[in-house]
Amino acid sequence: MIVAERKPFDEIKNMVSGYKKVLTVGCGTCVAVCLAGGSKEVETLNAELNLAFGKDKIEFGAETVERQCDMEFLEELDSKVDEYDALVSMACGAGIQFLAERFPNKPVFPAVNTSFIGVNLDVGWYEEKCRACGTCVLGLTGGICPVTMCAKSLFNGPCGGTNQKSCEIDKEQPCAWYKIHERLAGQGRLDQIIEISPPNDWSNQKPRKIIQPGYEERVKALGR
Amino acid sequence: MMAETTNTIDVTINKDVLVIGCGTQGLEAAEAVAAKGYKVVLVDDADLPAPAANAIEVMANTKVESLAGLAGDFRTCLANGSGRSERTFGAVVVAPRYGLAPLNEAYGLALNDKVVTMTQMEALLDDGAFKETLVQGEGKSIAFLSGFGQEGDPAATSRVLEAALTVQQAGNSRAYVYANNVKVGARGLERLFTQGRNEGVVCFKPLEKPAIEQGDTLKIVINDPVVREDVELEPDYIVVEEAVVAGPENLAFAEILRIDTDLDGFIPSNNVHRFPANSNREGIFVASQPADAANVALRVAELLDNGVRTVAKNAAVVDENKCTICLTCYRCCPHGAIFWENGIAAISPVACQGCGICASECPMDAIQIGDFTDEALTADIQEAVASVSGTPSIVAFCCQNSALEAGEAAKAFDAELPQGFRMVQVPCAGKVDVEFIMKAFVEGADGVMVAACHEGNCKAERGNTFAKWRVEEIQKRLETIGLSKDRLIFTTIASNMAEEFSMKVRMFAEQL
Repeated sequence: MIVAERKPFDEIKNMVSGYKKVLTVGCGTCVAVCLAGGSKEVETLNAELNLAFGKDKIEFGAETVERQCDMEFLEELDSKVDEYDALVSMACGAGIQFLAERFPNKPVFPAVNTSFIGVNLDVGWYEEKCRACGTCVLGLTGGICPVTMCAKSLFNGPCGGTNQKSCEIDKEQPCAWYKIHERLAGQGRLDQIIEISPPNDWSNQKPRKIIQPGYEERVKALGR
Repeated sequence: MMAETTNTIDVTINKDVLVIGCGTQGLEAAEAVAAKGYKVVLVDDADLPAPAANAIEVMANTKVESLAGLAGDFRTCLANGSGRSERTFGAVVVAPRYGLAPLNEAYGLALNDKVVTMTQMEALLDDGAFKETLVQGEGKSIAFLSGFGQEGDPAATSRVLEAALTVQQAGNSRAYVYANNVKVGARGLERLFTQGRNEGVVCFKPLEKPAIEQGDTLKIVINDPVVREDVELEPDYIVVEEAVVAGPENLAFAEILRIDTDLDGFIPSNNVHRFPANSNREGIFVASQPADAANVALRVAELLDNGVRTVAKNAAVVDENKCTICLTCYRCCPHGAIFWENGIAAISPVACQGCGICASECPMDAIQIGDFTDEALTADIQEAVASVSGTPSIVAFCCQNSALEAGEAAKAFDAELPQGFRMVQVPCAGKVDVEFIMKAFVEGADGVMVAACHEGNCKAERGNTFAKWRVEEIQKRLETIGLSKDRLIFTTIASNMAEEFSMKVRMFAEQL
């Protein structure tokens, strides 16, 4: 899932301070799971803002949609946003932008910082696992992502900075390639660590679009 | 509210009817529906005349802002000067608007004060000052062009004949009609045509589009097939025909109502399996022709009846544990029969037509269709492959609206079919899942055929298109795997094409 964390309160407060009526929009999927932008966080943020501004200065509304990254769910807001003069989105960066695109006449402010693609380790505890590099090498690296975990995002490692299981940048930061070595050794396929992965084409990081196979004709037919 | 019986459920539906867009068609449809005893709300974004029937609530200067829900329960937002109101209806009738586009370019003409459109000439003929010029001095000669810029229709022909007659009746002027076909297939047109001829309207029916020179004067040259000579005319006015085009509101209606338009933007889209007044969505009807009002009323009554509808319980069932509301089904359903509530996709048993496109597209296999569950179809595929002795074994997924009928007929007529040929019945080619095709190969089929309705002929609008895309996609995958893509074919067939069907199967078998 996409993991986000709420922005510092003062930053949010400053963004909305000039407005009279603000709608805080939550997202019911990733940011709800990582406890940053679901229905509860929307209500909590609104309560904090109410306390900070005093009840009469700004009126805050609350809506949480299933996903802010699907226009059909954003459509549910169509009849509601008119009365507001600004929107606060608690979705990830994708959701915030899609909301802003749907209501181009309304200022849209982010209430969270989108942090990473990660996993849930326990309640409220998340770890980054993927940088969406577009060229997955997990098959060669024992299922451990060097792009995410290695400070240099090396496809072929380790570098000279590996330091007794740790990375040279921080003792607490494990060396990705040490872990990859251990995982592959444990599976009896250490010979694979020698295999050279060609460098990633980082020019692929321009805004990407994917059309799943089988839907190309549909997309063409829709003329989008 | 739903009351359960054995295999069906009774669904209570709203009995009110919304009629959008006025004009003659809208008004007549509203009155016809009201006459059946249903409460009708007639809205138009302009002023409205008061309808005769009391049961009709009229909302002038009102726009339909949104429409959600499904047949029996359409939830609309109606907006006008006094604000917005939310109203629920069981059925919606839309009376489309049309515009007119002059076809002067088809004749190589530029419009000016001498070359005018049909609409302009009609306005001139209503103008006393212009009519005076038809009587004064030598009068005027006016040439009407009809049927060379488009095929034309009785409505267009009627306008030409009316105007030509008016010109002729003015007394001192002459009307000439250059027609490709004089379309008189409507009430009173034959009489109108004959009356015009009797009063002196000259009609030419050249075999080719008239050659026209547009300079200081106008000159029309044709080769008249009756006298077999070139005939020249230098008329004072040329009147060009106009094409009927979809009004810009049509697309807006279609978008709000989520119904398909045809290629020219008209609603409803064409489908031979549907009554002309039906759209691709259950409960949304279109009154576009004078004859439609009565048909619309019949269809509305059929749907709403007494407010209770008995429908199959298992038409399409969503597994709530699997559904992730990814909206794929909602986006793919050609009948707008799917929405979502309580965190899962919901398929209206009233609006669902059972085509199964949703089930095939669902990434979680969360949708099961009536008699065509994944389990049942998988068993059919296994049975089809296992029952074959000899090669090649061919599994043909056959749409029950076309290919299945053709295949059954081929068998009944003892048409030659390969020994290893087996048909698997599907409700629509759109139900042929990628998994099913792959399953057939895995089970050992030598060839797989997906047989759908002809393009533009699918009962579910796009089931055949979806099937074709999937086949093309799997062909690519087969090649990637290292298998021949020719082991899989997509074909279209009509139910009456038994011989062609058996030939296609034989050719496929030979190729395998």
